[in-house]
Amino acid sequence: MIWFYCKRSLKDVLGHAILIFFPLVLIFFFDYLYRNVDIETGLALGGPSRITALTIGFALTFQIYGSAISFETLAEDVYGPMRNRLFASPIETRSLLLAVLVSSAIVSMVQTTIIMLFSRFVLGALYPRLPLIILILLISVVFNQLLGTVILLLSKGVKLANMVTMLYGSIAPMLAGLYFPLPKNTFFSFIQSYGTPMNLANSASLALMDDQVFQAVPALLALLVLTFVLLGILKPLSRGVQV
Amino acid sequence: MLLQVHEVIKRFGTTLALDCCNLSVEKGEVIGLLGPNGAGKTTCIRSLIGLVPIDEGSITVFGLKQDGKNKDIRRRIGYVTQEITIYEDMSARDNLAFFASLYKMTKAEIEVRIAEVAKIIGLEGRLNEKSKHYSGGMKRRLNIGCALMHNPELIIMDEPTVGIDPQSRSFILRFVKELAQKGVTVIYTSHYIEEVEAVASRILIMDSGHIIAEGTLAQLIARIQGDHIIEVEVRIGSEEKKKQLQGIPEVKEVVYTDNRYRIVVPGGIPILDKILLTLSDQSLVSINTKQPNLEDVFLTLTGKQLRDEVTS
Repeated sequence: MIWFYCKRSLKDVLGHAILIFFPLVLIFFFDYLYRNVDIETGLALGGPSRITALTIGFALTFQIYGSAISFETLAEDVYGPMRNRLFASPIETRSLLLAVLVSSAIVSMVQTTIIMLFSRFVLGALYPRLPLIILILLISVVFNQLLGTVILLLSKGVKLANMVTMLYGSIAPMLAGLYFPLPKNTFFSFIQSYGTPMNLANSASLALMDDQVFQAVPALLALLVLTFVLLGILKPLSRGVQV
Repeated sequence: MLLQVHEVIKRFGTTLALDCCNLSVEKGEVIGLLGPNGAGKTTCIRSLIGLVPIDEGSITVFGLKQDGKNKDIRRRIGYVTQEITIYEDMSARDNLAFFASLYKMTKAEIEVRIAEVAKIIGLEGRLNEKSKHYSGGMKRRLNIGCALMHNPELIIMDEPTVGIDPQSRSFILRFVKELAQKGVTVIYTSHYIEEVEAVASRILIMDSGHIIAEGTLAQLIARIQGDHIIEVEVRIGSEEKKKQLQGIPEVKEVVYTDNRYRIVVPGGIPILDKILLTLSDQSLVSINTKQPNLEDVFLTLTGKQLRDEVTS
């Protein structure tokens, strides 16, 4: 079943092309800009190179848009005519949800991996502590897929989920300082590190690559807590799907 | 008894969708379920499957109580939905395999069954094509095939021939007859009376949320056997004339649609002159008298045309 949903997700070639090529274009663009124009970057760089920080930042940003993979698939299945066929079978709602979420997380993680590999081998990005970075990116993928799904099940339609993820995907990278520098004060410094789940994943990844484990752990823990909160919300919501 | 619906009531807000609905189905029967739009057919079918919880009454399927949670019941039912519910970006093989996987079939079982079902639905050799490239009839057949993968004991087909070419329609009807020969129980709903006539061993007519008549085709026709049907086509008909016709004491029933009056009168009573006199100022186009068929039974019992409601 998971394989079927992965295969189904992969049919949206244009969607995947956008989610892979657009961040690469942005990484190129901002790297070029910061290299050639004398402007201050918004990235709080320590150890990681600018290209690495840009790659992590945009990979995380486009994971947010990638949450549509699960909620659009799910909406087609549980809020369209397909619903009757699926629920006429003995399938449990939670099995269906799990299959969609797992397959969407796999597809989204593949997108992230392609971006990272391209940055590594073409742009020269380096990823110290790679296994831990992958783990953080994976948690972020799961969080985003859960977020889209929870909004879908709460609103019973894709409209709100699309709106929220678009808004979140636009604001979070700004707050992470990906596009422009934020004011230098405690408040914005806090927001940049912990303001949104994307900022949490971003600052945890950058801190880990910079050997600042004590800075990474709180951000990672906060992201994990938020992920479990979404899982907790999803459980009762999934019960309401089949009735 | 394979299936029993007893005094079932289902409300959607203030609308009574099923109103003390009673029906029973024996193993091996092919039931034709007829009814105008809004009669409650789809709600009835969905209640049988457990997709719609009922408010009152009881439903027993395969001797098990249908409470909406009974997976054993669902495992043994194949539901052919009214809409084409296949994944059009996926191949027929992927679709068949996916729907089989919902019934916990093993990979090996699925492979064997795909070959069997592809033969039944006439899609061998085209299994690997994306179903969006199929014709409407082929999609309909795949829609049926997906419901057959797990070898169900009871197949419920909700309007399986809507919007398809005559060739695919006759294919589906032949297929339902073959299922009946194999002893599979089928519940078949359709707006096409001739389809129900062709496949059903017993016909149920539903209106206003309950079954208003049931029996074999011969039994149902016998209910109005003594009657004659007079069909009069005029150039300019009116509801007012319909009322005048209803006012003739010998007339049992008048249905008026599209400048046509369908008048049911007891056989042997010479009232054609009265009818012609009533309609004489409406420019008569044609007059027909005929023996009743299932369509006449339906019209007499429900007072509604069936075919005209297809698009609504």
